[in-house]
Amino acid sequence: MSNATVVVVTSGKGGVGKTTTSAAVASALAKEGYQVCAVDFDVGLRNLDLIMGAERRVVFDLVNVVRGEASIKQALVRDKKLNNLFLLPASQTRDKDALTEEGVERVIGELRMYFDWVICDSPAGIERGATLAMRHADEAIIVSNPEVSSVRDCDRIIGLLDAKTKIAEDGGRMPKHLMITRYDSERAKTGDMLATDDVVDILSVPLIGVVPESRDVLKASNVGLPITLSDENSPAAKAYMEATRRLLGEDIPVTIPEGKKGLLGKFFRGRAA
Amino acid sequence: MKFKGKSFIAIVLTPEPPFTDWFQEIDRIIARSPGFFIDRPIVLDVRGSKIPIDELEELLAGLNERSVRVMGIDGVAGTRLKPGMPPSFSGGRLTSDVDVPEPAGGAGAKPATSEAKTETGGKAAANGAAVNGAAKDDGDQSPAATADVASVPNGSSIVITEPVRSGQSILHPDGDVTVIGSVSSGAEIIAGGSIHVYGALRGRALAGVSGKDGARIFCSKLDAELVSINGLYKVAEDFDGAFRNAPAQIRFENETLVFEELN
Repeated sequence: MSNATVVVVTSGKGGVGKTTTSAAVASALAKEGYQVCAVDFDVGLRNLDLIMGAERRVVFDLVNVVRGEASIKQALVRDKKLNNLFLLPASQTRDKDALTEEGVERVIGELRMYFDWVICDSPAGIERGATLAMRHADEAIIVSNPEVSSVRDCDRIIGLLDAKTKIAEDGGRMPKHLMITRYDSERAKTGDMLATDDVVDILSVPLIGVVPESRDVLKASNVGLPITLSDENSPAAKAYMEATRRLLGEDIPVTIPEGKKGLLGKFFRGRAA
Repeated sequence: MKFKGKSFIAIVLTPEPPFTDWFQEIDRIIARSPGFFIDRPIVLDVRGSKIPIDELEELLAGLNERSVRVMGIDGVAGTRLKPGMPPSFSGGRLTSDVDVPEPAGGAGAKPATSEAKTETGGKAAANGAAVNGAAKDDGDQSPAATADVASVPNGSSIVITEPVRSGQSILHPDGDVTVIGSVSSGAEIIAGGSIHVYGALRGRALAGVSGKDGARIFCSKLDAELVSINGLYKVAEDFDGAFRNAPAQIRFENETLVFEELN
């Protein structure tokens, strides 16, 4: 009997990398040996199954389980590589109104008994789907790109986390972690992008990781493997691995990814004689 | 103040002694399809059985344990009922039988039975139109709209002349569905009869959902996520690679799904 920590991955804005982050963190935790379940709350626009390469094995989905048409065990899809990583996929043919508050509570409660970690991939927006995904979470990972609109939406979501979740209603405060994704150090230097300090400043949420903009992420999602499994040496995968260790409570300094400098660049500072 | 009328098809349960056996049958149905009795109008029919009121109470308790909510009881005078029991009912017209989900399997839990639902007013006209291939849930409508599509229950078939996109669900529990175009990944076709796809089948196809073993699935290009006939299903992972991306037919034989190439 384990009692899982339920983590919601949320952002407000779409396209910042919630699903990539959910898959990467879930598989990194599974690699550490924990029993992990990733839950796709994006009913109607499911993608987590694609990113995790499980789309060809989905029979039942979250909506079936919430409505009591299937048991959780029937709906869980086991990962092909890691046998302690599971996915509870979302439905594609329904919409978010198919989820009921009581049903979601029951499902999360049941998942808590089977797993050590439950990672909920929230849909974009601030409507029903997103609020249901965060409602029963114990912790939140807030995903933001270093640009103003994404930061503003995150601010809005943080407000919801402190108002509409079960923890908040019981008078507690939800622990939050900020994950900055698609970070481009070159553009941050030139001022095209917000620097990580600025984002942390605006949101005042502790930083858990900075993931550099990387071609490997797109490549990984197209082959249906979470980035932390497909290419462990890619800077993005390393950033996610580090973030996961911080999530587990290790105290390691956050490294801000620098631009690509080969060995040559390190020694040869481009000084012309 | 206006009172609207609505007609639903209720499931009529007729308990037969010995009740333990009868309850076992109910349990079998629930095991096959956990959602079968959920949120459906259910009427208990005890006409002519002269059932003692205590036995009736036990029956209701047994059904309640199984989360089968009885809406009313037909064949008992209202004066005999104890407080807290569902009200006495009479009248009603018999309609066609409601299909019980057949073998164990995935698709049984899907809405696999015909539910005619009509509302007085303009809906009836809409239902007539729905058979002309507009039996579609277009995402922006509520998903319940699919259930509202009451097609003509005479083994009719519907023809859909455009691609079925991700997220759309075509529900036609009374007959065949023919799609001229492709069925995208993330779309589903649920048919009481056979499914014909003149294009690539990339989504889910559930044929014979009202208990027809004879239903088949045909497609010009098989790349489905899941196929099912009468509740027996197979996911893409378990397909024989030889039929992938080729014209194929799938039929039900000796409790297995048989895949064949279409030449």
